[in-house]
Amino acid sequence: MSKTGWAWTWFGFLLALDIAIPWFVLTNVKTMSGAFLFWAIWVAVAIISAFFIFLRWKEARR
Amino acid sequence: MSATFWVWFGIAVYIAVGLAIALMARRGLGRGMSEFFLANRKVGGFVSALTYSATTYSAFMMIGLAGLTYLGGVGALGFELTYLCGMFMMVFFLPRFWLVGRKYGYVSPMELLSDRYQSKWVGATAAILALVFLVPYGAVQLMGVGYLMNGISQGAIPVVAGIIIAVLCAIAWSNIAGMRSVAWTDAFQALVMIVTSAAVLGVVVAALGGFGSFFGKLESATPGLLTVPTAKGAWNINMFIGLALPWLFFLISNPQVSQRLFIPKSVTAMKQMLGGFLIFGFIYTLISVLWGFGATLLVPGLENADLATPTLLALPIIPMGLAIVVMIGITAAAISTIDSILLTLSSVGARDIYRGLINPRVSERRELRVGQWVIPIMAIIAFVFAWWAAGKTGLSFMIAPLSSAASAGLLMAVPAIFGAFFWKRATAPGAIVSCIVGAVVVLLFQLTGWKPLGWWPGTWGFIVCVILFVGVSLATKPPRKKADEFIGYLKEKLDKGNFI
Repeated sequence: MSKTGWAWTWFGFLLALDIAIPWFVLTNVKTMSGAFLFWAIWVAVAIISAFFIFLRWKEARR
Repeated sequence: MSATFWVWFGIAVYIAVGLAIALMARRGLGRGMSEFFLANRKVGGFVSALTYSATTYSAFMMIGLAGLTYLGGVGALGFELTYLCGMFMMVFFLPRFWLVGRKYGYVSPMELLSDRYQSKWVGATAAILALVFLVPYGAVQLMGVGYLMNGISQGAIPVVAGIIIAVLCAIAWSNIAGMRSVAWTDAFQALVMIVTSAAVLGVVVAALGGFGSFFGKLESATPGLLTVPTAKGAWNINMFIGLALPWLFFLISNPQVSQRLFIPKSVTAMKQMLGGFLIFGFIYTLISVLWGFGATLLVPGLENADLATPTLLALPIIPMGLAIVVMIGITAAAISTIDSILLTLSSVGARDIYRGLINPRVSERRELRVGQWVIPIMAIIAFVFAWWAAGKTGLSFMIAPLSSAASAGLLMAVPAIFGAFFWKRATAPGAIVSCIVGAVVVLLFQLTGWKPLGWWPGTWGFIVCVILFVGVSLATKPPRKKADEFIGYLKEKLDKGNFI
């Protein structure tokens, strides 16, 4: 699979977690360490993976 | 002196500083559409990041999102962070928009669509979509300012007065030097937004005994607000998807933000813009949601959840000076969004409607003048909508759902945008039919309140839109030559820049 394909797959996986974990796994955890903590860590992972990709961008040679 | 005096004084200082910045920006203003609407594509990374942040984050955050948290709890965090996760797609779209913007000289995202699909009607359709659906989105910014000034002055300043102040500032900021004045004032306003909101959250958390005590009180007093679905029934999964889906694609569906993908001056500036925004967004979202949770503890039982922030700011635990500074910060957030919307709509009105459909041979000078006239016209329309909606109550007229409803309409342009960059088989009829029918479905469902299977209007509209885009494209003839040239150019440049 191409790098672009991997990146789309990773993004799709993150979105699947967005629904699966808070809505089906953490439904009974009524503390800050439940859905609140999950979503905070989850988006931090998404942000770090975006950094991992875009920090490699470089000015195109003419 | 009274609180009302200090509120007016704070507003006056804010307007004076904003005007000074906008007038300074005007000194470097050159001629032409690209100069006025895109600052000649020469904006540095720091200002790009801050203008992107200030345009994206609006009164919606500290009022609308805080209100939604107050009403329904942690689902509001998931909804807003789904948007931020969607920003991952910037790694695909930012370099693509930026590269073709430079190559073909696009001023608006709609012009990109017209050229790529070789049909002025594609751009015009997307332009009309933006003109229709950005009005309610702009209006909620105005409502936010109105509620806030009214709340902090304890009713002394009418809601409509706040709305008028916001309209006048937005017209001025966007007209004085176009993207230059908007970007510079946005940068100033973004800093005000984040610093003031962090400061006031600190005061509230301290009043509740620190973070540990704050979280403990939340868990014991409102445990139902810390899960989804919410115990009170405020959040269910259909509502979550219905609100989050338009937000997920906000970065390409909303032209006032996608137009900003044209402005960074270099690849380094692009990286700074994206990185800066992601950090800003993460911090500002957490602040806004925690602020909403703070309100559930300190001012429970409000009938209108959008009043949680103004009511909290009026409590004695918040020093009046800080409350006024925060009010300025939220006002800045609202105005920095609506002036960007006005600027984008004016470029769309001039380039994609006037030049694209009415007068293709218009001079650039005349085109620019038309665009500058669109600014006050759209501002007045948004003002009337805000005035009308501010008198209504109920979930549909809350700031967050109203904002998301507007984005649900704009969502209908998303398949056409994806197709432009990734699918050579995509066609103009596919783009036009999917946009129009999808938008009609969204509008019909929103106006009638009809939710088959419990799914929200944006969800239904998007499903219909995607099916039509693919089906009609496969049944019609694509602009093969342009598609090969456009996507071929991107492939070559993406490889060279190590983009993906």
